[in-house]
Amino acid sequence: MNLVRRAPELLVPALLILGTALLGLAVSSYLQAYFLDTLVKVSIVVALYLFIGNSGVLSFGHISFVALGAWTAGVLTVPEDQKRVVMPGLAHFLVTTNVGNIVSLALAAALGGAFAFAVALPLMRLSGLAAGIATFAVLEITNNMLTYEQRIGPGLNAFSSVPSTTGIWQAAIGALICVVLAYAYQRTRFGRMLRATREDPAAAAATGISIYRQRLLAFTLSGALAGFAGGLYVHLQPLQAGGLHLDLTFITLAMVVVGGAGSLLGAVVGAIALNGIYSFFQAATNGVDLFGWNLTVPSGTAEIVLGVLMVVVLILRPDGITGGREFSLPRRRPVADLEKARATT
Amino acid sequence: MILAFLNLTWPTFASGLALGGVYALMAVGIGLVFGVLRLVNFAYGQLIMAGAFALAFGSQWGFPNWASILFCFGVVLALSVLMDWLVFRPLRGHSPAVMLVATFAVAFLLQNIALLAFGPLGKSAGALAILNAPWDIGGVFIKKIAVISIVTAAGCLLILQLLLTRTPLGLHMRAAAMDFRTARLLGVRANRVISGAVIISGLFAAVSAVMLSVQELTVVPTFGTQDTILVLAGVVLGGLTRPVAATLGGFSIGFANGILGGVLPADQSQYLPSLLFAMVIIVLLVRPDGLFTRGGSAVERV
Amino acid sequence: MTALAVEKLSVRYGAVEAVRGLSLEVKPGEIVGLIGPNGAGKSSTLHAIMGAAPVTGGEVRLNGRSLVGRRPEDVARRGVALVPEGRRIFGELTVDENLRLGLAARRARRNGHGLGRAYDLFPMLREFRSRQAGVLSGGQQQQLAIGRALVAEPDFLLLDEPSLGLAPKIVDVVFEALAKIRDAGLAVLLVEQRAQRTVALADRSHVLANGELRLTLGPQDAGDTDRLVAAYLA
Repeated sequence: MNLVRRAPELLVPALLILGTALLGLAVSSYLQAYFLDTLVKVSIVVALYLFIGNSGVLSFGHISFVALGAWTAGVLTVPEDQKRVVMPGLAHFLVTTNVGNIVSLALAAALGGAFAFAVALPLMRLSGLAAGIATFAVLEITNNMLTYEQRIGPGLNAFSSVPSTTGIWQAAIGALICVVLAYAYQRTRFGRMLRATREDPAAAAATGISIYRQRLLAFTLSGALAGFAGGLYVHLQPLQAGGLHLDLTFITLAMVVVGGAGSLLGAVVGAIALNGIYSFFQAATNGVDLFGWNLTVPSGTAEIVLGVLMVVVLILRPDGITGGREFSLPRRRPVADLEKARATT
Repeated sequence: MILAFLNLTWPTFASGLALGGVYALMAVGIGLVFGVLRLVNFAYGQLIMAGAFALAFGSQWGFPNWASILFCFGVVLALSVLMDWLVFRPLRGHSPAVMLVATFAVAFLLQNIALLAFGPLGKSAGALAILNAPWDIGGVFIKKIAVISIVTAAGCLLILQLLLTRTPLGLHMRAAAMDFRTARLLGVRANRVISGAVIISGLFAAVSAVMLSVQELTVVPTFGTQDTILVLAGVVLGGLTRPVAATLGGFSIGFANGILGGVLPADQSQYLPSLLFAMVIIVLLVRPDGLFTRGGSAVERV
Repeated sequence: MTALAVEKLSVRYGAVEAVRGLSLEVKPGEIVGLIGPNGAGKSSTLHAIMGAAPVTGGEVRLNGRSLVGRRPEDVARRGVALVPEGRRIFGELTVDENLRLGLAARRARRNGHGLGRAYDLFPMLREFRSRQAGVLSGGQQQQLAIGRALVAEPDFLLLDEPSLGLAPKIVDVVFEALAKIRDAGLAVLLVEQRAQRTVALADRSHVLANGELRLTLGPQDAGDTDRLVAAYLA
């Protein structure tokens, strides 16, 4: 019985993803790029949500894992003869190692997870602002290293010649994998224990839950998913270190918070809705036809709209669009009566 | 790397002190607002950016230097007050996480507005650049701006200290930072205290903008962002809840940045941010409550 | 007519009704006690007067003018001073600075001897002038808290369980000071858990239980423990 009631919690986000994918197939290839971008963002945002939503701790460093995943998948799939041209400083063993699409994604996830684990070992003991700044520091260090270190990637330049294997199906399946794993995690006892620490750390610790261990687990898992998403991303567009830094951190964080930081549905809704609006205004820089009107905006409008939207939502509805709740079917009568009875005593 | 320190010269030392001084001012600006609003202003860097742009425009429009500086102050103060009214006050009482993300949003917003308005290449910095010229002090050439920064920072901090300890407003601000609720019950006016903090914070941002823009050739929309992130790290590292500790934290990271920047050889200097942030992580792991606190002060839980 | 009046006051925190329909009045030169068991709504009443608790019904009037909806600092500036539960002094500020903080609520037409009066009433404070308030003992901190409230020369003094955690001897000192304050012409509203001493000191004492006024006692009832207990448990 419970299973049937709970099924929508996973099904609705999954359906939203499928819906986006199908719409993406139906539009022109010019617009399809935005749908692809949205689906990959869903993966990133769900990865971020897995940690932030369940632990209540803000991480500003997750884009480092996305970047590492992107670098891994990218460097290992550029055809060998191209590597010498496009990434002249690349270390020898990276030049000679070449893998296929799926393997690159798997490796991206593995490295993302491993890096996240390494970072989490020392950092998960921190809380609050200290954790925030520490994860920020990880982001800065990663970005700094990837930008200047020519032996492991393209450095300052954008990736090029990476096989564009992320089409609608790869992006959609990737997003679905992330959603299913995130949902599975939050339904296990580990997910529930971590959520308990979010609600009341003292009480949770008193019942024997190790805050450190649960956060370590979630952070690692979310790092793996983020790495995976990075792999998807690099197979979609020519990425650059600068694009995997503060702006992307902000945008993905905005999607989690505006959607509703406490729920998986919130993460998916936030990603799709906000990236949809963002994409719309991006497209509008080249002119968009709206009910017969032509709307053209200067470039940069999309970011401004996103920023304003985020501030407004935070002021008016700090719990986000979904209020941090998963999708649930309307309740049956008995519960409603009980609440009514309580109110009159 | 150790050998690099043998390169330490007086000019570099002075630069370290100067940058430390400016970062200390920024740390105070951030710390004051945190004290009364319990809000970490990620958008502080954008205040500095706005000030730098104001200076650049003033210079472009042919203002004399003193007028450009005044214009800079005006713009920064106006923007500070606007931020406070539109964003900080409505958010009072929300969870620290929400407030943090909101100021992050404001920072993102302002940066992109600047990008839209001024383009990614920005404007050239203006006539104050002459202050980069050195003074000959006993055979050693120290940049004028370094000395000016040190003196200005010290002066501002001194004036602030006097304000905080010798005036009623200062006393009210200190009390509000410790226990706002009780302070109000004693008659301390919440609005006045908050406005005071916001204005002083804005003034310090303007001063920082002037000091920092002397050393840059152009002003871009990301002006001040890297510095602000480092200052924030420094403040948390020093001890967010103690004003003196926060200021020392800001100074330390600025000093480290200035010294290392001058001392590292060219091919390693691009990794300076990594070095600094690695140091930040190490300090946070060893002393999560702050390097300069006496231990036992609680950091706000996000 | 100078009076602080509470009329059919209701205070509600979310679903919990802390005070229901309470009415009382305090006038200059008298001490009114407010006693009752834990959770009876005594603190909430004081906070409601100060504008620090949500008033959902009734009125709070100062000399006939409503205080409901005003900010705490504005209520303080109208001559109503609160000595909060647990003292809430500023440990890192000096004793002198703590007292000066009280000046924030001072009204312009007062002659400005507030600090002197506080030091006169509690001479002990003079010795600790420049020391951090955190080094004071509980009893000394209580004296500081009362002194701080008096510095603004208020007309009305509200106290929230001043004897909490204090040794009996210190309680004597505090209660004697309250008597002196009353004799100097202030109106005092005293919330306390030490029922007997309060009933003995106050001109009248209201017993509050479950947010409601149960009984009003005079000083002559101080010896009548049966009546007190019955009122508490009613």
